[in-house]
Amino acid sequence: MNTFIQFLITGLRLGSVYALIALGYTMVYGIIKLINFAHGDFIMVGGYALFFCIPVMLGLGLPGWLAVVPAIVICACVGMLVELLAYRPVRKTGNSLTCLITAIAMSFVLENLAQAIPAIGPDPKVPYTLFAETVSIGGVSVSYATIITVVVSAVIMAALYGFTQKTRIGCAMRCVAEDKAAATLMGINVNHTILLTFGIGAGLAAVAALMYVAQYPKVFTTMGATLGIYAFVAAVLGGIGSLPGAVLGGLVIGVVQSGANTYICSSMSDTFVYLILIVVLMIRPAGILGKNVGEKV
Amino acid sequence: MKLKNLLTLFLAVCLTLSLAACGAKTDAPADTSGGSAPSGSGDAPSGNEGDAVTLGMIGPLTGSLAVYGTHIEKGVQLAIKEINATGGVSLSDGAHPLAVETKDDQGDSTECVNAMNALISDGIQLVVGSATSGCTSAITSVANSEGTVMITPSGTADSLTTAMDYVFRTCFRDSFQGELAAQYAKDEGYTKVGIVYCSADTYSAGLRDAFTAACGDKGLEIVAEESVASMTEVDYTNQFNKMVSAGAELVFTPFYYDVMGPYLVPQARSVGFTGVLLGADGVDNTETTIPDGADLSVYNNVYFVNHYSTELASSGVSADFVASYEAEYGETPNNFDALAYDAVYVYKAAMEACGASDATSVQAALADTSAVYDTTCGTFSFDETGTPIKDGVLMGYAYHDGDAGVTKITVKAVSLS
Amino acid sequence: MKQNTYRRRYLINFAALLALFAAAVVIGMIGGSTVKLKLTPSIWQCSYLIIMAASLNLVLGFLGQLSLGHCGFMAVGAYAAALFSLALQRAGFYTEKAGPAFFLVLVGSILIAGLAAALLGLLVGIPALRLKGDYLAIITLGFGMIIVNIINNLPFCGQQGLGQGSASSALYATGLGFSNDEKMRYLWVSVLAVILCMTVMFLFVRSKYGRCIRAIRDNEIAASASGIHVSYYKVLTFTLSAFFAGITGALYACCNGALSTSSFAFTNGSILNSVFIVVMVVVGGMGSLTGSVIAAVVLFLLNYTIKNGGWVAALPAFLQNIFTYPMLVYSIALIIVILFRPRGIMGSREFALCDVPKWPGWIRTHFTSRADSAGKGADTHA
Repeated sequence: MNTFIQFLITGLRLGSVYALIALGYTMVYGIIKLINFAHGDFIMVGGYALFFCIPVMLGLGLPGWLAVVPAIVICACVGMLVELLAYRPVRKTGNSLTCLITAIAMSFVLENLAQAIPAIGPDPKVPYTLFAETVSIGGVSVSYATIITVVVSAVIMAALYGFTQKTRIGCAMRCVAEDKAAATLMGINVNHTILLTFGIGAGLAAVAALMYVAQYPKVFTTMGATLGIYAFVAAVLGGIGSLPGAVLGGLVIGVVQSGANTYICSSMSDTFVYLILIVVLMIRPAGILGKNVGEKV
Repeated sequence: MKLKNLLTLFLAVCLTLSLAACGAKTDAPADTSGGSAPSGSGDAPSGNEGDAVTLGMIGPLTGSLAVYGTHIEKGVQLAIKEINATGGVSLSDGAHPLAVETKDDQGDSTECVNAMNALISDGIQLVVGSATSGCTSAITSVANSEGTVMITPSGTADSLTTAMDYVFRTCFRDSFQGELAAQYAKDEGYTKVGIVYCSADTYSAGLRDAFTAACGDKGLEIVAEESVASMTEVDYTNQFNKMVSAGAELVFTPFYYDVMGPYLVPQARSVGFTGVLLGADGVDNTETTIPDGADLSVYNNVYFVNHYSTELASSGVSADFVASYEAEYGETPNNFDALAYDAVYVYKAAMEACGASDATSVQAALADTSAVYDTTCGTFSFDETGTPIKDGVLMGYAYHDGDAGVTKITVKAVSLS
Repeated sequence: MKQNTYRRRYLINFAALLALFAAAVVIGMIGGSTVKLKLTPSIWQCSYLIIMAASLNLVLGFLGQLSLGHCGFMAVGAYAAALFSLALQRAGFYTEKAGPAFFLVLVGSILIAGLAAALLGLLVGIPALRLKGDYLAIITLGFGMIIVNIINNLPFCGQQGLGQGSASSALYATGLGFSNDEKMRYLWVSVLAVILCMTVMFLFVRSKYGRCIRAIRDNEIAASASGIHVSYYKVLTFTLSAFFAGITGALYACCNGALSTSSFAFTNGSILNSVFIVVMVVVGGMGSLTGSVIAAVVLFLLNYTIKNGGWVAALPAFLQNIFTYPMLVYSIALIIVILFRPRGIMGSREFALCDVPKWPGWIRTHFTSRADSAGKGADTHA
């Protein structure tokens, strides 16, 4: 029983982080249909921003987690800069695959630039411990960070859902997602909308970075690669473009990984994560909560 | 339209380049890829009095393993700086300064072979590298077939060095360290041990194999064995939960310090594992990766086998090294720094012993198993395969309430009985 | 008339390939230090990158399906070839890496590698190709990851076996792993493999099958309505592509004495991974096999000379600092290429030797038309 609870809690712990990352990922994907490989690297940027900002916040006598505010600003700026400098010019001339390649290239640029900056360098850094207190559930200790991550994921999911459904900008985003040309005709500034989407997506990456370092306190320049892939998998598993789907997908991946660790074979957990993905996509080709859009002839 | 594109692109490139340029190392005095490197391919690099002897260095300077390569580079450059400051290497035809030509292998074996071939075609005959066993194993045969001496500072896989060849190392062999760890477990009277390791990493899996074999010989029971998929794995709670339920008193954890500090130790304690965590030399420097504000008492009962301890050292070499490293770079050295620094000094000793700097003479000098090298990681001589024969030290971490931080303690010297 | 032109074109191409092969044989025989240390390893690496990029182009450029796990097939091929050669060596089939017995083993392991990968391609392709677009991309990524993960955990070929532990030097000494001298001796094998694979791929895309898969790429529903068996052609192309990827795996195993699964990952520090193979195809031009060849060679040379080329030393000091981060330069170069040639170096056209004499005229018209349009642009702005 203890093992079972432990497995669930570890799954929740991993899954909640994946879910939070996948939210930002699916947000960008939903609007411009770009597999943004650089999203994982936005998490890295957020992680380093937190690493440098938390001591400043503590020095000012403020709680450490408030460092997420400057981190959001920094991440959003980086996200918008990437969109302005790389994605927008390429989108004008190229197709979806050239955008994909630009995303890959940007991911490498961010990783290597981070290594080139002396204050960051290749050595891993450990940020200040946040939310370290634990509560005991059924004899197993759960850190506040896990609980907060789940709550934050749910809140952000609801807020984003409200934002995209209710506000004017949200409507504009959905319009752009549906048909860029038609959106332009309706008087929507497509470029501004996409820029804003990148800002929000990257800002969410900073929030995800906060919850990530609270549970797994280490930042290094190539941390984004694995996280980006898991976010991609989570977003597709849940149904790409669907916000609740991203959260669900993240949680499923976390629990499957933890379950495979506990009950099957610990070094093969990746295999089971991808197997679940494949099985789900075979049964529901648009993901768990995705809408299967029929092809127009 | 085209113009605007160009402008954007130009701005982007400028931005990136300026960032990288201001970020990149400006102090690379020893990095002479052009001028002083010998140009001929094949002739001995030490021609005239005062010509620099150029060493090659291969390591992952960028990419996900960059942390190992950059530390090796720092160790090599510090050693060369010191040697040159004291007059260089005295060969039979006079003193020569040292220089280094650095190649980046990005942690990939193909790139590593390319780098090795490029160094050889630049006429370099003495190479320090590479960092990981995987990359190193890809170039050992090049070194042997082309007759280039190679000292790996951190390639620990048993198979790398074989008798009578051009490959040497300054680190332990996996099997030796695994056996030392098992020896310690037996000496302390533990009977039920567990293992958590990474099946996809040579270092970790190699140590695990050696430890398992040694446990079998020494009659220790392995009650549980769990693995993780990669060396950057973040969550170890399920693995340690199994250790607890299997009743392991000691768990062997062959990981590096970058996961021990932030992830493994706190997570192991959080699921109620109170026994000993025993690691190998990769665990050294865990004190640098403990998050501020964390519960430091969890780091008690963490021990590891290490190369040297400044407390037990008979000579001042390692204390001097630590002091000069801190003065040079403003941070504490880790094992990669120390072992790479040693590799350069071993080359120096060998070159001075034979009075020449060509590969054949240096290889013969290094293959002399009676030569003794006094290095930062202890005093040793090579065995017939080119691996140092040295004793290990058991070190650990201790924290008492009220301490400012975790202290590294030296428990005792261990050797195989 | 038309028949005649075709015959002439084939003859010219055949002669060019023959000359290429002869050049490889001659280079291998001349030897010498630079050839051995720089040229030969580069040709070997180019050869597997070329086949790899071209084989992915079959799926990505001609069939129009994005696959992100192509290196998984290469991994299977590499391990299959290495294990096969090692098994034969241990069985005493050959003792030294020369002579007809070893040549048989070499050919055998290349074929076995291709077949093993093709079999896996068939197994993966049948379920995966029911999906399309990004869903297919992630499923192939998943399969690639699973393959690597399973190889890591197989006791006889994981990291402890062939990879790096005790058997790696055994592989080098006795199996397929070539030293520099052997790479030079068997240089013609790698060049021949490239020529044969490329020829088969050309014939495939020019055949009835090739027309079918291009029809599927352009409009799947219309193709299906015209009586093309869509699933059959998709799986066929995927399997063929996996077969060639397996062959590159065998070449890789020859070229690199030690195998480690991190070389076949989704992304890693170097240029051989599933992501960069996609990059090569897109940069070369989707639907252009010669484009893939050019892109593979260009990207290899860029990567190789950043690290080992003399020209970096000639740059100003601050630029040299940037070149200590090869991936940074590489990625920026990639973005520049994508910005200015979004459809890739060759677009969807093929490079043909017969067209070379027509180039001056083509360049003239191309540039005058571009200058015209630029002039018009200036007018409208004014």
